[in-house]
Amino acid sequence: MCTRGPVIVMELPEKLNHLEGTTFLAEMKPLLESDRPRMVLDCSQVQHIDSAGIEVLLESMEEVMKRDGDLKLAALSPSCAAILELMRVDRLFEVFETADEAARSFRAIAAPEVAQTLPWYSGGYGITDLKTAS
Amino acid sequence: MGLAAIVVVETGTADSYPAAPADTKTKQKAKAGVGEPLPCVEIMGRSMLERTIERFVHANVEVVTVLMSGDAAWAAQSTRNAHDRVKFKSVCDIGSAIGKEIREFSQSGIDHAFIVSANVYTETDLFDFYSFHRESQQRATKAIDRDGRLGFGIVDCGKALEIDIENILMRGEGAGSSYFVREYVSQLNHTRDLRRTITDALNGRCAMRPAGTEVKPGVWVDEGAQVHKRARIVAPAYIGRGSRIRQDTVITRCSSIEKDCYVDWGTVIEDSSILSDTHIGISVDVCHAIANGNKLLNLERDVVIEISDPGVMRSTSPVRKQPRSTIHPEEERVIVADLQEQKLSTPEPWQLGTNPIQG
Repeated sequence: MCTRGPVIVMELPEKLNHLEGTTFLAEMKPLLESDRPRMVLDCSQVQHIDSAGIEVLLESMEEVMKRDGDLKLAALSPSCAAILELMRVDRLFEVFETADEAARSFRAIAAPEVAQTLPWYSGGYGITDLKTAS
Repeated sequence: MGLAAIVVVETGTADSYPAAPADTKTKQKAKAGVGEPLPCVEIMGRSMLERTIERFVHANVEVVTVLMSGDAAWAAQSTRNAHDRVKFKSVCDIGSAIGKEIREFSQSGIDHAFIVSANVYTETDLFDFYSFHRESQQRATKAIDRDGRLGFGIVDCGKALEIDIENILMRGEGAGSSYFVREYVSQLNHTRDLRRTITDALNGRCAMRPAGTEVKPGVWVDEGAQVHKRARIVAPAYIGRGSRIRQDTVITRCSSIEKDCYVDWGTVIEDSSILSDTHIGISVDVCHAIANGNKLLNLERDVVIEISDPGVMRSTSPVRKQPRSTIHPEEERVIVADLQEQKLSTPEPWQLGTNPIQG
C-alpha cells in the first residue's frame, strides 16, 4: 500500500481468491475510515482471479461508495480484463493503464472553456489581433 | 467592416439542401429514431446548432441568421440562449434564401459572411479562416478537412451575388483554393455521429464541454439533476438538467443522460445516450445505443427498436416534438418489440439482485 497525495494505491495479491480476498479486505477496511476515500487498486500482480475475487472488488467499491469516495482499477492484465469483461463487472470501474495515471485522474478537472469576447476582425488584422483572438 | 454568419438547418422536408455528401437514403437514416434534425438534438445540454451559433456570437460576428428549410420557430424553441444578434428564418428554397441574405448583408455594410451547415461543427479558428479568405482574394472560400469538403465557407458579400454560392461551398464546384481545417470537425450525417461527438467531448478530444458542473473528474451534472447516492456514475459521463437517476443504476462508458430523463432502479446505461424526456424502466440494460422516448437505436446493428411497453421505455414529455415523419418504412428496419405480455407491474426480488453493486 502506498499513498499519492490524497489517493491510496493498494496492490492486489497475485491470487485473488476467497482466502487472499478476505485478508485483503481486512487490510483495506481501516483505510476507508476517512471521508470520501480515493482508492486505486493496482492489479499488475494479479494472475488469478475467481468469483470470490470479483466479490472483493465489488465489496471494496460498495464500501468506498458508501463514504462518497471512488475506486479505480489500474494495470489490469489481459486475462484479468477478460474475466472482468465476461462477468460484466468492468463497466463498473474506471480502468487505467498504470496506477499513476489512475491516481492523477482523481485530480484532473478540465479547464473551463474560455469565451472569446473581443472582436478580432475589427480593424486590420495583425499579430495583436491574433493574440486577442487566441 | 462587418462580418455575418448564415447557419443552414435542414429539417427534412425540403430536399434542396445537401448539407453534407449525403443522399436521400442517408438523410432518412440519419434521423432514425430521433425524429428531428440532428443539429437540433440536445447533446450534453445543448444542441449542436446552439453551439455553432454561440461560436459565432462569441467571435463577435455582427449578425447570425439561421435559415431553416422547415419550421424555424420549432428550432428556435430548442435554442434556449437566444441572442439579439441571432435571427431565425423559415425558408422554402435554401439556395435563393442564402442569396437574399447576402444581398441584405451587402446593403447593410457587411463585407463578409460565413455560411455553414448546422450539420457541421468545427472548432476552427474563425479569424484564421477569415484571414486566409482575405489574402486569397477569392469571392468565396470553402473549408475542407482531411475527409474532404465541409459544408462551411466564407464569402465576400459584395461579389458573392455573381456566383453560385451553394455550388461552391456545399458541393465544392468551381471554387479556388480551399481552407484546410486542422482542428476538430464533427459532421452529423447519421444518428451515430451524435454518439461519436459525445464520446469525443467527454474524452476531451475537442474543446466542446458538456453543460453543467464537473462534480468530479469526468462527471458532469447539470442543474436540477438528482443522482441517488447508490447510483454508480463511471467517468466520463453527463447527467442533464432535471434528470433523475435512481439507486443501483450504473451510468458508464461515456454515457450521457440528457435533460428531464428518468433512469429507474438497477438500470445500466453503457456507452449510450439517453435523449431528453426519456424514461428508462427498472433493470434495463442499454448498451451501445441511443434511446429517445420509446425508440432505441442500436448502434452496433443499426436497427431501431420501438418498445411498446411504457414500463420499459417511454417518453416523459406530454407532447413530443415530432415535426414530421422521418423514417420510411421500407428503408428502415423497425422492429416493434411488443413486451406487453411480459409487463412487470412491481419489481420482483430477483430484479433488485441483478445489480452487482448490491453484492
